[in-house]
Amino acid sequence: MADLGSAGLSPLGEAAGIHAGGVLGPLARAQYGALARLRWRMFQNSLRSTKGALELGARTVSYVIYAVGGLGIGTGAGFAAYGLASGNQWRFLPILFWVLAFLWQVIPIMLASFQEQFDLGILLRFPVRFGSYLLLYLVFGLVDISTILGCLCCVGIWIGMAFARPDLLLWTTLALAVFAAFNILLVRAVFAWIERWLAQRRTREILGALFMVALLSMQLLNPALYQKRHTGRGNHQQDMEQMKEMKARYSPWLKTANAVQRWLPPGLAAQSLQQTVKQQPMAGLGALGVLSLYALLAGGVLAVRLKSEYRGENLGVAPARDKATPGRSRAAASVAGRDLTNPAGGQMLGGSGPIAAIIEKDLRALMRTLPLLYAMGGPLLMVLVFSTIFLKNGGVQGNVFPLALPVCMVYAQLGFTQVFYNSLGTEGAGIQIYFLSPTPFRTVMLAKNLLHACLFGLVAMVAITLTILRLGIPDLAVVAATAAWLLFSLPCNLTAGNLFSLKMPYRVNPGRITRQRGSQANALLSLLVQLCILAVGAAVFVLGWFLDRMWLAAPVFLILAVGAVYVWRRVMDDVNAIAYERRDALIAMMMKEG
Amino acid sequence: METAAIQTYGLTRRFGALTAVEDVTLSVAPGQFFGFLGPNGAGKSTTIKMLTGLLEPTSGTMAILGQPFSAGALDLKRQIGVVPEGMALLGRLTATEYLHFVGRMYGLDRETTNRRTQELLEFMQLANENKKLVTDFSHGMQKKLALAAAVIHGPKVLFLDEPFEGVDAVAAGMLKTMLTGMINRGATIFLTTHVLEIVERLCSHVAIISKGRLVANGSIEELRAGVASTLPGAEQEQRLTMEEIFLAIVGADGQQEQAQELTWLT
Repeated sequence: MADLGSAGLSPLGEAAGIHAGGVLGPLARAQYGALARLRWRMFQNSLRSTKGALELGARTVSYVIYAVGGLGIGTGAGFAAYGLASGNQWRFLPILFWVLAFLWQVIPIMLASFQEQFDLGILLRFPVRFGSYLLLYLVFGLVDISTILGCLCCVGIWIGMAFARPDLLLWTTLALAVFAAFNILLVRAVFAWIERWLAQRRTREILGALFMVALLSMQLLNPALYQKRHTGRGNHQQDMEQMKEMKARYSPWLKTANAVQRWLPPGLAAQSLQQTVKQQPMAGLGALGVLSLYALLAGGVLAVRLKSEYRGENLGVAPARDKATPGRSRAAASVAGRDLTNPAGGQMLGGSGPIAAIIEKDLRALMRTLPLLYAMGGPLLMVLVFSTIFLKNGGVQGNVFPLALPVCMVYAQLGFTQVFYNSLGTEGAGIQIYFLSPTPFRTVMLAKNLLHACLFGLVAMVAITLTILRLGIPDLAVVAATAAWLLFSLPCNLTAGNLFSLKMPYRVNPGRITRQRGSQANALLSLLVQLCILAVGAAVFVLGWFLDRMWLAAPVFLILAVGAVYVWRRVMDDVNAIAYERRDALIAMMMKEG
Repeated sequence: METAAIQTYGLTRRFGALTAVEDVTLSVAPGQFFGFLGPNGAGKSTTIKMLTGLLEPTSGTMAILGQPFSAGALDLKRQIGVVPEGMALLGRLTATEYLHFVGRMYGLDRETTNRRTQELLEFMQLANENKKLVTDFSHGMQKKLALAAAVIHGPKVLFLDEPFEGVDAVAAGMLKTMLTGMINRGATIFLTTHVLEIVERLCSHVAIISKGRLVANGSIEELRAGVASTLPGAEQEQRLTMEEIFLAIVGADGQQEQAQELTWLT
């Protein structure tokens, strides 16, 4: 008989003998230990290959960047807290908490393309309790970028408050801890539910429509709120009068908003400290209690979602609801089957060659792939945010930042990072078709580039329209320079993207926005390339602006664009060789499970 | 002399220190239903990957339909159909969309692609599943779809890596009929499977690979006679099944493992 015990395997009887207990019971603890060992072994094994070592290097660099960024923001938050507390400006404290909450919730949207998380779905085949699953979900979420940055900000505020008002240390600690817990739970709940909704075609369409309505509504609000924005530069007295007028007009609104925000989590966190300062600890405790209820509510909303996952729901296979009734006849179903194969009804593009086939296939797959839809759509929201910031900074004086348009375009382009730099990521095992069929790989990449260029053009048009609607029509030279910069940056990104897609691909789970396997090396290096492209763009724009020769920027970008297209063509000529040389690695990566 | 449909000479593939396939030389005649057998990890899938351009051999040469084959031999690829190990499906498409895509990738015109798609879906009994994404298909349905995709362009040589795995008996019978029909019309089929009964019923010739090396090659009758000749006198008269032939050639290690018993299993 095999001596399983000495081979390091526990006989099943012993495993069954571990008392199940609760989320901290013996079985759960054994499972946590096993999972920690698994992660450690996976980490060690990843270092066996050059790619693994590169990944570790990239991960280290990226976490250093996040840490430095977090320390910077945290220090700023600390000084702000110190300033408010020592200056007794407690009424402004909610602003600090609102900014922090906003960053905490928005950073994951901004960085969705660059994050890698462990998918705990693999645990569901084991006897893991729901409580343990939830706990692990939260624990693994703690290494999320937004959590790290948010927590560093909380630490900064805590230190600032501790220096300014050491007597409030306990209250500050409590308020910040509950506030952090609320944000950690909320961001996960929001993402988990968005994933669920976007997984179904019907809800995806409804959310898409709501998104568009929201965008349009903001445009309608825009002229109403800023109708005097384009009246030109006025003198100081006029500005002051305008400010007074605005204050008088918006004062009732602001009062209502202030009253409402006091009952929302950032306001409650601030209120718990404000009330304590006013020697009203019970009111402070009450605010903290309501904040805790919000945290519990966020946790509950998250738990409801995770419970469905725990019961076996798989977002990757959430189907569009079939309208067929159970009693429908086989003949009727057969006729329906023919409908889709009808040439007139089932096809999107006119061409019949491989390029049209790939574009059509990618377009269909894209419409059903959450991470890419999200990555492409999310930045449009950020374009609105940025344009609003520019509007607030310059709108009152009628002097909007002249380079606002290119800045908004930059963020719109960032949404395409995953699309450009991992263009084969959603193929899965289907990538084999490209190597089995008589279509050269160059044609495959050409088709993908064409589609991505068109999609980018479309998103850029929407972003330009949004920006112009928000900020007004900028100087014609800036518009021309921005368009020319896009013509330069697009082939640059496609060139680098083709190389990254072939040399550093990673499989994308089409059903998830978060909890992707990802590749830090791809994410970091692609960001680096984009920063270089941006740096070139920024240098030309800023020079043109300072020298007051903005009209020069467009021709400069066009010359650069010609060079970029030439390099793109050269790389396209090498695509076949690279793809065939790396085909087994590409196929292995795309077929990787888990 | 007739040109072989598939010909390899000294085909070898190494992954670092591991030699997955070593010095495989074989020839498959046109119109042959060829079974390529071996235990798990023997090198079957690696061989098929090399023969279909998914993996570059470390050394050795291959020819398909008499022409040297490599990944860049695009004209030859039009003559080849493959059901690879991972089935090469695109989960976010419906079956119809997927077959349209594959047909056009193989250079079929739109009309032919549409017609064949419809015929294949009906033949594979997938026509009623047109609202489902491929990712929602059962494993057996995915296998049927992968087979449909492999034959949509009417290949002369078909490589099948475990095509019957997870397919129900009714569908398996249907697939066997289809494959036999292809053989009758002159196609060549190169099949790997662990279901030895299917090999016995369909294949005329068999090669067995073990630990990366070809250990047997010939018609089933030749292998049967070869194995029988090693048996004691009385047993030579019995008609050996494919399973007995296979175990006699590669099964020595497995028999030793069978001697152990996991007594804690209920």
